[in-house]
Amino acid sequence: MRETDRRSTRKGEEKRTCGKDYDCGEKACGWWKQSCPKGPGPLVQIICDEAHLTAAAPTCHSTSSKLKVPAPDKVRRIFHDQLGSLVVGFDEQGNQIEGSQFELNSGEELEPIQPGELGFHRENHDENDKDHKVRPRPNTDSVTPISVLKSISEEEKRSDLEYELSQREINLEKLQRIASTGIPDGGGLRATAWKLLLGYLPSSHDLWDKQLKENRQKYAYLKEDLLRHPSEHIWNEYEELCLAKQHVDYEVDGPLSRHEISHEDHPLSLGKASLWSQYFQYTEIIEQIDRDLQRTHPDLPFFSGESAFSCNNREAMKNILLLFAKLNPEIRYVQGMNEVLAPIYYVFSTDPDKQNAENVEADSFSCFVRILGDSVDHFCQKFDNSASGILSTLSRLSDLLKVNDEQLWRHLEFTTKVKPQFYAFRWITLLLTQEFKFESILRIWDTLLSNPFGAQDMLLRICCAMLLCMKSKLLSGDFVANLKLLQRYPDDINIEYLLQVAKDISPDTSYYCLSL
Amino acid sequence: MVLVLALGDLHIPHRAPDLPAKFKSMLVPGKIQHIICTGNLCIKEIHDYLKTLCPDLHITRGEYDEETKYPETKTLTIGQFKLGLCHGHQVIPWGDLDSLAMLQRQLDVDILVTGHTHQFTAYKHEGGVVINPGSATGAYSSITYDVNPSFVLMDIDGLRVVVYVYELIDGEVKVDKIDFKKTSTSHSAH
Repeated sequence: MRETDRRSTRKGEEKRTCGKDYDCGEKACGWWKQSCPKGPGPLVQIICDEAHLTAAAPTCHSTSSKLKVPAPDKVRRIFHDQLGSLVVGFDEQGNQIEGSQFELNSGEELEPIQPGELGFHRENHDENDKDHKVRPRPNTDSVTPISVLKSISEEEKRSDLEYELSQREINLEKLQRIASTGIPDGGGLRATAWKLLLGYLPSSHDLWDKQLKENRQKYAYLKEDLLRHPSEHIWNEYEELCLAKQHVDYEVDGPLSRHEISHEDHPLSLGKASLWSQYFQYTEIIEQIDRDLQRTHPDLPFFSGESAFSCNNREAMKNILLLFAKLNPEIRYVQGMNEVLAPIYYVFSTDPDKQNAENVEADSFSCFVRILGDSVDHFCQKFDNSASGILSTLSRLSDLLKVNDEQLWRHLEFTTKVKPQFYAFRWITLLLTQEFKFESILRIWDTLLSNPFGAQDMLLRICCAMLLCMKSKLLSGDFVANLKLLQRYPDDINIEYLLQVAKDISPDTSYYCLSL
Repeated sequence: MVLVLALGDLHIPHRAPDLPAKFKSMLVPGKIQHIICTGNLCIKEIHDYLKTLCPDLHITRGEYDEETKYPETKTLTIGQFKLGLCHGHQVIPWGDLDSLAMLQRQLDVDILVTGHTHQFTAYKHEGGVVINPGSATGAYSSITYDVNPSFVLMDIDGLRVVVYVYELIDGEVKVDKIDFKKTSTSHSAH
């Protein structure tokens, strides 16, 4: 584990050393390299900046500049400077979190941009350099200014969002912009924002009530139609009959009256048309849904356990999934849909608004259908090889990686032969719900859903960013190591950083050309 | 919605070779949650066959059963109903309602299922229901040779029961339905 050694010699000139050896064997980046076995070289002050920790570290003889050690040429060539400095600069840092001794939470340390400006303007080179210079250094003594700044920005964001959401005509673009930087927890902001972003709620505030009522009504009808047990149908008929006949034979003893029924109407009937056989067709699916729901997020008491609360939640989710299966007989239910439903259901049921809380199921169902709308073909096996299927999406991911980092792409595809099918299948079909911790998933989905080009586009970018962030580890790993790493993606990575990289990924324009 | 299959008095292999084909084709695994069997199977092979239909199998001992370890009576609770099971040869006179009612009070159940007479009956008697599923193979009984194969499927849903009676008459399966609702003030309260 690399140790970071902090030496603050002169006031205002705090330096950090990383203790890494350069190839002349001398301890790196201290102050002045004065003695070196190779012979006297020019006195160079190498200040440890993250930039130097790249694949080919400069030696003590390099005539490096004061503040930044230039990144190796090889890397610079591929990205445009901004991204280059981003990835090169922070790649190691992204990994360094694991072993670092920074006192702050890793998140706060690594925000390269002033809080509050995330995602708004990254094009400015000068801003970048400025940020590097003025980035707040870790200060063990005083209260960290960053956390204060962060909480201020959270408050600002919250009030911004609340203001936006209270408008009569909601500006979707503005909402998307704010949402992509992360929606603060609590207050039902996330639930409302997601509903708007998914198009469930119209942008005009006045129409909300009407729309919600309509949708919830529709859901109730669907449920009644498709999810009722056959025995309930029969009982309703019987009760109607009883009322009609004014017959009360409950008190009378004696042989019970028998009614003959047609051959289709009993539970053991083998006919296809009977309610019962249709009902039994789905028992297998119901069993599978049950099994999967038991395994959803076993660490969260919201979903797992035997409490009435979690049982209710699972019951509601089962209804949603079963309804979806019945309405889409070509896909039915595929293992994994429960994972996609889980964040939606969770977010909507933590909405403090009472009316919304009662109709969680209906809202979740509609939004689940919307979210799955683009990617539903990924679940269907027969579409695997088609243009909308999973294989084509995986190849788009591959192309995106190639455009952004050819070295890594080559290393993965050819040298180690780690094809996207081996790791990205789950990332893409399940919208990353199995790769990260639950809070991180919610944050990632904020960005996913607020992309003006659609969730799928951002999904591919995030997947590509995930690969880029692990670049050094991947480059140094073989097939087994890489596969292991990618299939169990480390979940202690800084999510904000990951999303920032994702936003800056240059799009794969070849795809757009082809589709014209 | 719980499906409970009630049958008995098969007398295989002594009095009948097997269940009627039409019945057998209807009884497929996966649909039924419980099976209650009044007795007189008589051999282990039938026990195994019933076990394949549903793992939750309850049997009481009939006088011709080769397995001696089955209990004389059994009670179980399904939904809001308490069911009692007994073969019925112990209750004398056979098939007498009052005597069966005595057994029902003794077992403290809402629905008593007995057999032995090989005739399907379903009575409401003194606050409870007595059901006799008849003989599933149509085997002759000590009383009569004229027996139609029959069995019963109960659909228990909370406080309501729908009883489906399957009878094989003249080679055709006839299905009848009986609805029954348990009143909340039940006589079989403790």
